[in-house]
Amino acid sequence: MTMLSPLLDEARAQLLARADREGLIAVGYGVMDSPLGPLWVAVGPRGVLAVHYGARPDERELARITRAYGPGVVPDRRRCDRLLAELDEYFAGRRRRFEVEVDLSPLTPFQRRILTATARVAYGEVTTYRDVARKAGNEQASRAAGGALGANPIPIVVPCHRVIATDGSLGGYAGGLPAKRRLLTLERGETAVPAGGWAPSGR
Amino acid sequence: MTFGRLIEVHEREIFAYALRLTGNRADADDIFQETFLAAFRAWPPPRSGNERAWLYKIATNKAIDRARRARRTAPLADLRLAAPERDGVTVADLAAAVRALPAGQRAAFVLRKVEGRSYAEIADVLECSAAAARSRVAEATKKVKEKMT
Repeated sequence: MTMLSPLLDEARAQLLARADREGLIAVGYGVMDSPLGPLWVAVGPRGVLAVHYGARPDERELARITRAYGPGVVPDRRRCDRLLAELDEYFAGRRRRFEVEVDLSPLTPFQRRILTATARVAYGEVTTYRDVARKAGNEQASRAAGGALGANPIPIVVPCHRVIATDGSLGGYAGGLPAKRRLLTLERGETAVPAGGWAPSGR
Repeated sequence: MTFGRLIEVHEREIFAYALRLTGNRADADDIFQETFLAAFRAWPPPRSGNERAWLYKIATNKAIDRARRARRTAPLADLRLAAPERDGVTVADLAAAVRALPAGQRAAFVLRKVEGRSYAEIADVLECSAAAARSRVAEATKKVKEKMT
C-alpha cells in the first residue's frame, strides 16, 4: 500500500486544486509539531478559525466551523502557511505579536467580547478573569469569562494563557496547565514559575 | 462531516478501486478526482454513514461513462489483447483480460473477485438486483477464463 501513497498525494493535490477553482473550498487545515505537541490549525476566508491542541480537530469545533462556512473544509497547508510561520517564530521567542487575522464570527457576542479583550493583553503580561470580564462590560461575569476562555477556539494567538486567577494561581487551560506555564515562562524569559506566582497587571 | 474528512477516510480505497477499474494511472487519477468533485457538488451524502457506498457508486458510473466514451472514439488497438500464452499466464494477461470486459461487467468482476464484496453490495453500487449482479460476475468470470486459456 505504501507504493500507492505518492500517487495518491498527487491525485489529492490535483483534486483539491480543482475543488478550489470551483469555489467549493472555504477552509483549509493543517497540523504542526510544536514544543507543546501537535497543533491542529484551521484558516478560513476571514482569518484563523482554530488552533487546537492535538493532531485531530475537536468535533464540536469542527461543527461550529461547518455551520459558519459549510462542508468545504479540507487539508490545505498553503492556507495555513502564514499562521504556521508566525507560530514557529512565536515558539522560537522571535515573535511577540501575531499579525494574522483571527475570525471570531462563528462565536457568540459574549465570547467575542471576552476574546477581544483578551487579545489586548500584551506579550509577557498577565491579567485576571475578573479584569477581562470588566473590559468585556460585566465585572460580575468572571466565571462566565473563565468559561469563554476555556472554550477559546484560537489559543496562543488569542492569548488566553495570559489570563489567571485573582489570587495569582494559574486557573485553567484547554491545553493543560503545563502548557500554560510553559507559554508564560517563554514570554517572560523565565525558566520556571516564580515563587508566589505572577502578579496580574490588571486590577 | 466535511470534504476533508470524506477524503481522509475514503481516498485510499477509492483510488485503489479506480486503478483496478481502469488499469492505468492517468484514467484512475481522473476517476478519483471526478468522483470526489461530484460528491462535493452533490453534497450532502444521500444517507449519512453510507458515504462509502455512495462514492463507489459514483466512481463506478464515472468509469462506465469513460469506457463508453472511449469505445465510441478509441481505435481498436486499445481493446486489443496480448497474444494468448498457453503456458505461464501472467498477471498482466489477467489485467488485460479484465480490461477487455465491458465496463459494467468489469466493475462487477473487480468488486467481487478483487475486493471480495457481497452480491448485495455490488447490486447497490451497480444499481441492479442482487441476481443481476451475480449474473454479471458470472458472465465476466466466464469471459476472463476464456481469454486466459
